[in-house]
Amino acid sequence: MRRAGFFLGALIIIAALPWLISTPYWRGILVLCAMNVLLALSLNLVMGYTGQLNLGQSAFYAIGAYVSTILIKTYHWNFWLAGLAAIVAAGFLGLALAAFAARLRGHYLAIASLGFAVITYQVLVNWESVTEGVRGIYGISSPVRGTVPLFYLVAGIALVVYALMDNLVRSPVGDTLRAIREDEVSAASLGVNGAIWKAFAFGVCAAIAGLAGCFYPGFVGTLVPDAFNIVESFTMLAMVIVGGIGTMIGPVIGAVVLTFLPELLRGFGELRLMIYGVALTLVVLFLPGGIASCFKRRA
Amino acid sequence: MSDLAALVVQQSLNGVYLGCLYVMVALGLTLIYGVLNQINFAHADFVTVGAFTAFFTATRFATKLLGLPDAAGYLLSIIAATGMGALLGVAINAAVFAPLRERGDELRPLIATIGVSVLLENAQLALFGPIPYQFDSPFARETIRVGRIFFSEQSALVVCVSAAAIAALYAWLRFTFLGKALRAVAQDRETAGLMGINPGLLIGLTIVIASALAGMAGALLGPVLVLSPFAGASVIVKAFAIVIIGGFGNLQGTIIAGILVGIIEAFTVQYLGSGLIDLVVFVLLLAMLVVRPTGLIAERKEENV
Repeated sequence: MRRAGFFLGALIIIAALPWLISTPYWRGILVLCAMNVLLALSLNLVMGYTGQLNLGQSAFYAIGAYVSTILIKTYHWNFWLAGLAAIVAAGFLGLALAAFAARLRGHYLAIASLGFAVITYQVLVNWESVTEGVRGIYGISSPVRGTVPLFYLVAGIALVVYALMDNLVRSPVGDTLRAIREDEVSAASLGVNGAIWKAFAFGVCAAIAGLAGCFYPGFVGTLVPDAFNIVESFTMLAMVIVGGIGTMIGPVIGAVVLTFLPELLRGFGELRLMIYGVALTLVVLFLPGGIASCFKRRA
Repeated sequence: MSDLAALVVQQSLNGVYLGCLYVMVALGLTLIYGVLNQINFAHADFVTVGAFTAFFTATRFATKLLGLPDAAGYLLSIIAATGMGALLGVAINAAVFAPLRERGDELRPLIATIGVSVLLENAQLALFGPIPYQFDSPFARETIRVGRIFFSEQSALVVCVSAAAIAALYAWLRFTFLGKALRAVAQDRETAGLMGINPGLLIGLTIVIASALAGMAGALLGPVLVLSPFAGASVIVKAFAIVIIGGFGNLQGTIIAGILVGIIEAFTVQYLGSGLIDLVVFVLLLAMLVVRPTGLIAERKEENV
């Protein structure tokens, strides 16, 4: 009952947001925010529930964006079909990273996944015949007309993903993933095949990031490799940690806060990102459980 | 000497020079990882701050105010940058690593240092602006020629300074009491504590030394880099690759891997073009992780269940 109430509340908030925020600029930020929620949610599945460090999220996001755009622009595919192909492509890249995760631990995996992000970025820059390199791809149209419908579309998808993932982590699959996070060797002694379940988590995570990536080019209108610089992976990681890793609502809060905070600080000019950096450090120092932990204690 | 042999020797020398620069950046990362099992993402920005400190010391303070000759100014700037790095080390230890050390998780310090990195980058952006500075080393003007091989005095200086710094670090770790205590802390923090060693102090010291090395690396890299507030970021991903290839926390491994990556980079530039360097290095890194998931020299650690 409480969960039904929660989803109803979320639905009402999503429906009302474009009416509360009326300037085109801030409505754009809303779309960006919905995409970031998707990215943070999926990253949390790998990091929060399965306990695998992943600094390569920007690679999956990039694959989603580039594969869908190239299929649409060069091969004249329908958006939805191209999006599906992009999700599959990103998912397969996630499986490739999972092959490394099967053998690597902790920071080794972190750097290997960072390697995925660096290689993807470099391929986008250097493979000019397909990706146009740093010149970028221009004039990309959105699947739906207008910012508000696009927001409803992406936010609706994010809500569905949230609901599905919420069920997933409370199912026996969620228990299995948590067992791998807590102690992989002990989990293996209980018959859990770590490699397969990590592949599952990475595959789902990458596919959802790819899904978020499908909407990015249409929203911005242009596509350049710099949008998927490795720094973006760190921002997504920060969303998960600041919001509250290993909780369902945490990454959502983190994505909302870290999307809006830099925008709200625009009045501070050059100080803006300095404040952002300090805030990031302070949250980690004084709220180790993330923002979500404040609500939990009170409830 | 045939053309090909001369080319190979020339590029290998260039590679060793580049490798020394990378080793200087990567050593600090590996040192911190060795004793603390943490990654300092702000390390890149310590390198940048070191480069800016060296730039202003060499071009403004030493030559304009003190009236020193250019060469002495650059040498002084290396010392200044090292000192600045050490100061940053004290600060980040007090602000991030010391408070988060006891909680024993690997993620939060990582994020906290990303926050520090964002702060430092943007503070430098506000101070120095986005336009890159031209940092000319007085040693880069002279070229030494041996047969058909050319190298600049600057590259010889970089190799000598890095070799001296590495040798000093090695000797310190191997032969002094503090160095021995530090190795004890790296091996087993709790037991070392029981033997009357203060682990907190030694970990702090390690972070300061690692950061001083980053500052020094900044002074050496300054003339090579496009000196902007984001300069360190271009080197740090390669430094991470080097640290992993060498085996996290392993000094010898890092030094070997650093030189190796330098040589690979020199030959990549020669045969494939400079745009592909990062691609080649990271594909090699992943290939290596497939063959040897623990790096060249494995970290000796058993898993407790």
